[in-house]
Amino acid sequence: MMHNLPVRLWLAIPVAVTLLVFLLLVLVGKVPLSYNIRNLTVRWRTTLLTSLAFTLVISLMIVMLAFVNGLYELTQQSAVPGNIVILSDGAFDESMSNLGNASSSSPIYFMTQEQREQLATDDEGNPLVSLEAYIVVAQPIIIDGKPNGRRRFLQLRGLSDPAMTAKVHNLKMHPGGKWYSEAGVQPIERTETGEPTSEQAIQAVVGEGIARELGKDHYHRALQVGDFFEARDRKWIVTGILHSAGSTFDSEVWAKMQIVGPFGKEQWTTCIARVKDKDHALEMAKELTKTVKEVQVQVQREIDYYDKLNTTNFQFLLATAVVTVIIGIGGVFGVMNTMFAAISQRSKDIGVMRILGYARRQILISFFLESLFIALVGGVLGCALGYMANGLTATSIVSGGGGGKSVVLKLVVDVNILTGGILFALFMGAAGGLIPALSAMRLRPLESLR
Amino acid sequence: MNPLVYKLEKLFYNPTAVVLMACSALALYLIFSNYKAVQFIIRSLKRNKLRTILTSLAILVLVLVVTAIWTILSKLDEITEEKSKDLKAMVTEKYGARSQMPYSYARGLADGGARKPSDVHPQDNMAWSFYIGSLEKGKFTRENFMFFFCMDPEKFPTMMDEVDTFSPTDLAILFESIKKMKADKKRIMVGKERLKLLNKRVGDRIKLFCQNYKDIDLEFEVCGTLPEGRYENSAVMNIDYLQDAIDGYARDHKGEKHPQADKALTFMFLKTEDRNSFERLAEQISTSSLFTNPAVKCDTASSGVASFLDAYRDLLWGMRWLLVPAILVTMALVISNAISISVRERRTEMAVLKVLGFSPSRILFLVLGEALFVGVLSGLISSGGLYLLINGLIGGIPFPIGWFGKFEIPLAAWWWGPAIGGGTAFAGSFFPAWSARTVKVSEVFSKIG
Repeated sequence: MMHNLPVRLWLAIPVAVTLLVFLLLVLVGKVPLSYNIRNLTVRWRTTLLTSLAFTLVISLMIVMLAFVNGLYELTQQSAVPGNIVILSDGAFDESMSNLGNASSSSPIYFMTQEQREQLATDDEGNPLVSLEAYIVVAQPIIIDGKPNGRRRFLQLRGLSDPAMTAKVHNLKMHPGGKWYSEAGVQPIERTETGEPTSEQAIQAVVGEGIARELGKDHYHRALQVGDFFEARDRKWIVTGILHSAGSTFDSEVWAKMQIVGPFGKEQWTTCIARVKDKDHALEMAKELTKTVKEVQVQVQREIDYYDKLNTTNFQFLLATAVVTVIIGIGGVFGVMNTMFAAISQRSKDIGVMRILGYARRQILISFFLESLFIALVGGVLGCALGYMANGLTATSIVSGGGGGKSVVLKLVVDVNILTGGILFALFMGAAGGLIPALSAMRLRPLESLR
Repeated sequence: MNPLVYKLEKLFYNPTAVVLMACSALALYLIFSNYKAVQFIIRSLKRNKLRTILTSLAILVLVLVVTAIWTILSKLDEITEEKSKDLKAMVTEKYGARSQMPYSYARGLADGGARKPSDVHPQDNMAWSFYIGSLEKGKFTRENFMFFFCMDPEKFPTMMDEVDTFSPTDLAILFESIKKMKADKKRIMVGKERLKLLNKRVGDRIKLFCQNYKDIDLEFEVCGTLPEGRYENSAVMNIDYLQDAIDGYARDHKGEKHPQADKALTFMFLKTEDRNSFERLAEQISTSSLFTNPAVKCDTASSGVASFLDAYRDLLWGMRWLLVPAILVTMALVISNAISISVRERRTEMAVLKVLGFSPSRILFLVLGEALFVGVLSGLISSGGLYLLINGLIGGIPFPIGWFGKFEIPLAAWWWGPAIGGGTAFAGSFFPAWSARTVKVSEVFSKIG
């Protein structure tokens, strides 16, 4: 499915200009277009090999950008407009925050009546506020009952009211699931071998992404409601699966705070509140940072918080740009080679065309269009190949310089990326075709016929 | 010792360098023993200089990218590869992703949790904490922050990685700095790059506002530098200085302990002789009653890094199995195209060669030779140039994940380039060369006539 229509202006304008120039050259330039097409089809092997080089470069670019785009979409979709994030002062992210032990120390209780009235409420009139403890634990990876010697970092979110947390984050549960019980645990009754046991399993609601990750170790499929997994030497049972694809919550396990708190953080790390008027969120955040004194806090809009997590995304984007440009330069030399060879093979044709009355600029345009056409064919094929990566999942980290969140993301190939791919292919074609076309233009008719 | 003599001496002890030198000698022998064929190949390439240059440039650029990617992947492979001897064990908190053990664990762990006379003792040990601070309160930028390994400075030469790559001058500075740090706990060693970014010099005094230990703001004196490369952005401080400050917190806060007083030990590294000793050590530590609150785990350092890198596994997989093969295929296509055009243009020449008595296989080898010559030479220039540029001028490829810092191009890159260039040249030119081999003399001359 295509995302983010329409195309961004800074991408659309160069593409439109290029296509317009392309059309103008064809129409006004009066170039022997059929001659060019015949040449491309006669020398189909050379055309194909050169186009294939473009195809590979562009498909690589599309896949790499789809990865970065997936990361950006993930951080953007995790934020709800109108939500404000309350962390302890100085904390880069949730993992470093500490808002205090008991619920009485929660910043919500330090708000004035006036401030509380600005908070949005649910259908029952409860303020949309969620107290959360973000905990990362190291979990040994056990595949088919055997530890593979490695660990994965499992992200737990200790909550008091998971239904309210889901409302605040605009998340829903897949049908068939339910929130964990008041106790937060349930008896297992029988072990896998069928023996009676008094062990209690921790009830958990999991994101779709982490359900896939954890499920493949034991079940060779995504976890479903009623499935078990192990963490911190305890058995956990899945009571629900979140509709969380495309957000950072996709990689999280939600459980009762009193149960998971002792696993790493017995204090709340985060308080999320929804402001009635989303345009007022920034003002409210600034006001709360100033007025809440009992615990030193920094309050920001959720949009701004997630925006700060884009530091690694930007690094990936930069690396992608550098790699693509360098590979692109290689492709430019390839197309230059092809075009120079085409000109040397067809120098007699050029001489005949000049004698027939074609002007120098028409020769230039003719060969320039030929290289653009090769690039366009390769670019379109590259986009088609790269588009196959759309929707594939991958793991990575999003971070804002301090801690970071391990995430499961979906590669997103959108119209902007495809447009960028075509534009880059055309740029490569133009860069590789211009010098040979200029050399073709300079050929003298009589000399070339000799 | 003269640094150049030192570097040359090191080179002769490096197996990769010895193999490379042997390969170069073999290549030179082959060139001289087939002098005429090589001369023919060079003449053929010189006839269309533009095409040769463009093909070389394409190979040069693409080998550059592959060498850079392989540098990162090979370094990560090297770090995460399980060793059989001189293992480094890493003890961390068992469940917390951010290990925070009480510093009191350090003494027991240094002895490997040994309880019986028959128990294994580590050969060496090192306790690690981290201290992150900035020069300005509340402001944390690239130009004002410092990241410290808090440790016993005397453990640096024996327990830290890559100290064996330090030059004699850098080693002398290191030992001198360690002596100074032992004499005064406030003294620190700072990486050259970090010092430059902070705009500070050796001898300067600085005050840092701490980011990871609340209210533990400390004053330091820079007494020495860490060389370019792995540690150029890091700094080392005496772990006792941090501990003293944490203990002092209680004095200034009416006896109230610092909130992280029992969480100040991040890692404990233990050196063991072999795999068997490591396993016994891990068993001793995990069964000891001294390390239960919080519980600890004992991994090899390489497996710890591998766990950390697990989050990036898809990215690294993509680099290894998608990006590199696609670049190699692109290179093969570029070469194939150039050689195909060249063969098509020179069909008459091939026919003449056949008339002159050149066998089809010899023609095949001559065409393959042209491609290999361009591929190997361009590959060598590219990877060799990158080696000199990155290691000599830039100081490594930045890898901004975790604490890796910069990766230097390995010596092996000197053979990667020729191998990549040669391999793709062979793959790309085989079919065009085969078509040159099968040129029919009668067909070519009938067209000319």
